[in-house]
Amino acid sequence: MDPDPSPDPAPPPPPAADEATTALDALSLRAAADLPPDFAAPEIDEDDDDEGYATAASRGGSSTAAWKEEMEGLEEDAYGDAGPPSPSSSGYAGERGSSLASSGIEEEPDAATPPHAPGAEDWARGKKHADEDDASASWRKRKKHFFILSNSGKPIYSRYGDEHKLAGFSATLQAIVSFVENSADHIKFVRAGKHQIVFLVKGPIYLVCISCTEESFEGLRGQLELMYGQMLLILTKSVNRCFEKNPKFDMAPLLGGTDAVFLSLIRAFSWNPATFLHAYTCLPLAQPTRQAASAVLQDIADSGVLFALLMCEHKVISLVGAQKATLHPDDILLLANFILSSESFRTSESFSPICLPRYNSMAFLYAYVHFFDENTYVTLLTPRSDAFYDLKDSRARIQDVLLKSNVLLEVQRSLHENVLRVEDVPVDLSSQPTSPPAQSSEMAIGGPAGLWHFIYKSVNLDQYVSSEFALPIKSPKEQKRLYKAYQKFYASMHDKATGPHRTQFRRDEDYVLFCWITQDFELYAAFHPLADKTQAIKTCNRVCQWIRDVENKVFVYGESTLAWQYHHCWGDM
Amino acid sequence: MGCSSSLPASNAGGIGNINNDNSATDSKNLKLKLVLLGDSGVGKSCIVLRFVRGQFDPTSKVTVGASFLSQVLALEDSTTVKFEIWDTAGQERYAALAPLYYRGAGAAIVVYDITSEESLNKAQYWVKELQKHGSQDMIMALVGNKADLHEKRTVSSQDAQEYADRNNMFFVETSAKTADNINQLFEEIAKRLPRPTPPS
Ligand SMILES: Nc1nc2c(ncn2[C@@H]2O[C@H](COP(=O)(O)OP(=O)(O)OP(=O)(O)O)[C@@H](O)[C@H]2O)c(=O)[nH]1
Ligand SMILES: [Mg+2]
Repeated sequence: MDPDPSPDPAPPPPPAADEATTALDALSLRAAADLPPDFAAPEIDEDDDDEGYATAASRGGSSTAAWKEEMEGLEEDAYGDAGPPSPSSSGYAGERGSSLASSGIEEEPDAATPPHAPGAEDWARGKKHADEDDASASWRKRKKHFFILSNSGKPIYSRYGDEHKLAGFSATLQAIVSFVENSADHIKFVRAGKHQIVFLVKGPIYLVCISCTEESFEGLRGQLELMYGQMLLILTKSVNRCFEKNPKFDMAPLLGGTDAVFLSLIRAFSWNPATFLHAYTCLPLAQPTRQAASAVLQDIADSGVLFALLMCEHKVISLVGAQKATLHPDDILLLANFILSSESFRTSESFSPICLPRYNSMAFLYAYVHFFDENTYVTLLTPRSDAFYDLKDSRARIQDVLLKSNVLLEVQRSLHENVLRVEDVPVDLSSQPTSPPAQSSEMAIGGPAGLWHFIYKSVNLDQYVSSEFALPIKSPKEQKRLYKAYQKFYASMHDKATGPHRTQFRRDEDYVLFCWITQDFELYAAFHPLADKTQAIKTCNRVCQWIRDVENKVFVYGESTLAWQYHHCWGDM
Repeated sequence: MGCSSSLPASNAGGIGNINNDNSATDSKNLKLKLVLLGDSGVGKSCIVLRFVRGQFDPTSKVTVGASFLSQVLALEDSTTVKFEIWDTAGQERYAALAPLYYRGAGAAIVVYDITSEESLNKAQYWVKELQKHGSQDMIMALVGNKADLHEKRTVSSQDAQEYADRNNMFFVETSAKTADNINQLFEEIAKRLPRPTPPS
């Protein structure tokens, strides 16, 4: 996920060791009762405040100016003579100021900060529980926190609560990271009681997850990588240069209005297997239908578009890249998440700068986005900032073809059709000439041998398919739990330290989990907890065979993947 | 389309001109590229959606980059004007992109929120930038939106009017919510559009 690890900047002077210990204590997030009332800000420097939390206007102004300089490809003359500093986003920043004041951090009264229009903040920030801060019991009871902060301790993002009220807490986290960094032992995670605290350092930006969800360290770290990628998609890595010029640079205003994007990504961590498989999934479609879409996208790509993607919600209908350009599955995930969680794309066609962090984390591309209906949309990416009208024309051509070939109708049909149901896994009659082994009636639910669910990932295609959820795991809560189990499995199967596993079989009170990895594919399957191992393995073989039979429908074969061949080894295990 | 290079690093060619032509199709059917600028949350998108679709949706839809919409307006003198509208994002991170959308535009609407003095400061910032870098004959309007929230007003219409007068802009207060003055705003811009001299 880190295509270009930049050297760590000189960290601020380390706090005294006992300070870091205090910080660690604070991080254990004990029950409200045993915390000192001011646990929020043990380390906060008073002189940090006037710098960082002056008036909303000056804050926004300086960050805009610094950012503008960093925006590449702009003519210098446009900003050489700065003119009036651009005041920041009006009401919301003002509101932040006043909320800071009310939480006890002193703020210079400033005549230029206008009274704030009530209600305006709510629409712009749209954050849940924005009233919480680290002193509220509810905030501390949250199962999983995500933070982004700068290496000078300035809050950039927080899942819960207003990041600007969490300045003290951010300073605490920053103190820990720099303490450990300075001891030449880069901090990766800390256990504190039930909590696991995972750190990811990306140059001047620190990402932190505090969780008591029992997810693996690798899993959580992967999630932080995606959070960072989402941030880069919005700002590019050139934001780092703002920190080079001003270590106390306040980055939060640059992410204004993007809370929904991060929230939706965090939600995806518990329902979207793409977040840990590093693969994307396709909308199942009959081959001729998909070909019609691919042909017109290919045509467009040949005429100067870098990437053209047709997607339905999170699923790919077709995607093509110009020449040898390939799109990383993580970029697809982050792009789709950004588009689907930014409501304004659905209102009308848009043209917006976007960075694909895995493709090039330093530069913006321009994305033309258009929704054909509620959930089907095309994204055309180009490096040309003046390409809008060309892309608009291209879209019209695409739309023509999609309508004429009934692609949009087929897409809607596919959305409501269960393509891969475990109940439909073919039963291999030849291996069972007599009646199948007696099954308990609850074993009869789901697929053969008590199969409840599976995910099949094609390694060559970077694509995966997953079955519908069978009855025993119909509830979202069950599904979340299963994904967490898969995620753990994935981490242990890919853990270099323990060698390349080929298969793993695990039984607990919830399910029997089975994982099979070859050069060509990875299979993750969940069975009834009493499933028979031999039968389960046979069923897995049949699942793989079945996927091979329907692969033309469930996978996209782009030009870049024509090398895909039918040479899987289907040996016994 | 001349994008042969797929090298992303080549994306340093400077901001181009998105609005390539701004010409009228003929003397009866005019075409106008128009850009909306202003702080996030002042109601730019709501104004455009009220004008183009006759709707008002109070839920939040922070604009990303810029949205493009068009609408044809028939005037009393039987000319029609086709507006091609760039509704830009007011979020700070997009401020540096504004030239992409306003360059080559024939008209600009600079919007503030009458309940936020700071949004007027931001509007003045945009006016200055347009005066410096926009085209000379651009029609500029200053719009105080959310006029329906008059009980929360912090910007007096007189101050705004005076500022507009000093800067050769016309001024109007609108409400995207009640539709007050929305059509008038666009009609007024259309009226000020220079008419192409018919071929003699
Ligand atoms: N009362 C009232 N509210 C309005 C009016 N116009 C817009 N709003 C509200 O203001 C909020 C922001 O409006 P938008 O049109 O999205 O603001 P914008 O200027 O496009 O913001 P960005 O896209 O972020 O630059 C919305 O939630 C609307 O409900 C109005 O005339 N009256
Ligand atoms: Mg908008």
